[in-house]
Amino acid sequence: MSAQIELFLQTLIAGILLGGLYALIGLGMALIMGVMRIINLAHGDLMMVAMYIAFFSYDIFHVDPYVSVLIATPALFLLGVGLQKFLITPVLKVESILPHNQVILTVGIGMVLSNLATVFFKSDYRSTPVDYATKAWYLSDFWRNSPIELSLSFAWSVSFVLAVVITAMLWFFLTRTDTGKSIRATAQDLDAALLMGVNVERMRMLTFGLGAALVGAAGCLFMPIYYLYPALGKQFTNIAFVVTILGGLGSTEGAIIGGVILGIFESMTATYLGMGWAPVGRFIIFVAVLVFLPGGVSSLLRSRRFGR
Amino acid sequence: MKKLSLVVALVFVLSLLATNLFAADTLNLSIPLPLTGSEAKFGEIQKRSYEIAAQEINAKGGIKGKKLVLRFEDSEGKPETARAIVEKLIDVNKQIIIVGEYTSKCAKAVAAVAEERKVPYLVVASASDDITQKNYKYVFRMNASNSHYADGVVSFLKDVVKPKTMAILYESSDFGTSGAEDMEKQAKQLGIKVLLKERYEKGAVDFKPILSKVKSERPDVLYMVSYVMDASLLMKQIKELRIEAKLFAGGAAGFAIPEFIENAKDASEYVITATLWSPKLTFPGGKQYAEKYKAKYREYPSYHGASAYSSLFVIKDALERAKSWKSDDIRVALKATNMKTAFGPVKFEDKDGYQNQNFMDTLVLQVINCELETIWPTSIATKKYVYPIPAWRDRSVKCS
Repeated sequence: MSAQIELFLQTLIAGILLGGLYALIGLGMALIMGVMRIINLAHGDLMMVAMYIAFFSYDIFHVDPYVSVLIATPALFLLGVGLQKFLITPVLKVESILPHNQVILTVGIGMVLSNLATVFFKSDYRSTPVDYATKAWYLSDFWRNSPIELSLSFAWSVSFVLAVVITAMLWFFLTRTDTGKSIRATAQDLDAALLMGVNVERMRMLTFGLGAALVGAAGCLFMPIYYLYPALGKQFTNIAFVVTILGGLGSTEGAIIGGVILGIFESMTATYLGMGWAPVGRFIIFVAVLVFLPGGVSSLLRSRRFGR
Repeated sequence: MKKLSLVVALVFVLSLLATNLFAADTLNLSIPLPLTGSEAKFGEIQKRSYEIAAQEINAKGGIKGKKLVLRFEDSEGKPETARAIVEKLIDVNKQIIIVGEYTSKCAKAVAAVAEERKVPYLVVASASDDITQKNYKYVFRMNASNSHYADGVVSFLKDVVKPKTMAILYESSDFGTSGAEDMEKQAKQLGIKVLLKERYEKGAVDFKPILSKVKSERPDVLYMVSYVMDASLLMKQIKELRIEAKLFAGGAAGFAIPEFIENAKDASEYVITATLWSPKLTFPGGKQYAEKYKAKYREYPSYHGASAYSSLFVIKDALERAKSWKSDDIRVALKATNMKTAFGPVKFEDKDGYQNQNFMDTLVLQVINCELETIWPTSIATKKYVYPIPAWRDRSVKCS
């Protein structure tokens, strides 16, 4: 019995830690989707760029991956702003048969980024073998006669805490600052925001930059616990996409909850169904949400609020 | 004007002749390999090894006086690309023999084309059993097939560890699946109970849920079939969870190369792995090749490299013995191969349902003091095996 409880709790811990990181990845995509109504399919590739920044800072200057959050995040912000200004905005203005050719553009951007990375950095796997990679806290160290043994990885915990801090900072920015409020206004109603004197174009640039910066930070947080190769983006774009859909298209609170749900769901399926089911499970969630809960988690939150 | 055009024509014809003459002195061999994509690391090791072999062959006068000229084509680890490359090599370039590829799924695609076009294909490092079980006449394999990879590990288990239970984790590829299935079969024959057999998708971030499940089952041995990054993540997370199995064992591939230790660091200590070759073995030319490779690229090659290196000598040997360079004569010559290479003795046999398969002894390596040491069979061991292994909390080894 105690073995079963241990298994469940350990799985839950793993799921929550993973979920926190998923939330941060999904957050950037949700933000961009909310404001610009496009799915940024280059999301994972932007993360890959940030991870290379973190890797080279570590490899050349011995900067800890967690410290390189401070380097990669602003760099990705600038990259995001640049992409929006010079690539996406011009495409936005072009009349075309396809209503969403900015989405197609982001696919192109993603491919270019990952192929450039292959050309410049080769397709070798890279990692930052930090000293604390396998450090962990054990329940039995604190409670000698504990009937169950649980462990909490140091690196995973730091990544999780930083993800929460960054999320809180974003929340503060969006709700407490003028610029943040303008971004939310743009997301709620573009025309109204325009009429109220919000510089929509600037907000769009800012949003794309912010979205890129968020996933950039997530990339740095993944560096000590994962590894890096040029084609890694696709996998994380998928995760961000599922998190965004699960959260309710474009809702930031939804994305946070969606991320945690996905993390726990994946860990639970891995333990109780088998790890091979994780990608299938992700897809099932994706379809189920689209069919049964098209507004995602955020629609539940909203209906509760109105219910009162 | 007329004179000028005549001169031009003459020059043209001469240049054509010249290239033809030049062509007669060379043997062009294009090799499909994954040079980009997630298997590029292994493609790179093999590419370097082929180049070293070609250099040595050319320094000694080439093959039947022809200079061997290698070219490499990137298949990206995708079977459809590998297939297209080989179709081009056979149909357009009229290449007389095919060698190369790394992943099993690509090798299968290439093997199908080679058999259909009746051009001999020498597989160097793809392990999936059925590549040489399809009654193909033109497909030969240098390396042991997957189900024989673990022979060394199995005999180590039988003679030293004598476990009662086992858990198997494997990646959901051809290589992983066949490796795991075979280990399960062998375990049953030894009377070992398989408590758990789970597959995972390559590139997963978090193995802790499945490892927690392994921990709750308390197996004596944990056997894993993985590529290098998954292998290091697995061991790191095993250390984190303090899973106390009597032995952690890997099925070649990712566990058998130095990158595994570089990434997993002290979590890799005492892990054993099956492998086909080690730089420290005493096959003729093996050591020299390994040292030459290390001098050039600052690291020792893995068995993938040794097999690639030796494959060109096998081809040289076959082409020199062949009555003519028609594909059937080459096939007959290859079939009659019986030579000692840097990779070990090579002989293509039909037995146990295999065709044209080279059967070889496999070794066991163990990470001891952050180095891969050969521990089994004991006759060629470089260090005595460490067993039983210490519990995680009692360990003090630090790999930097």
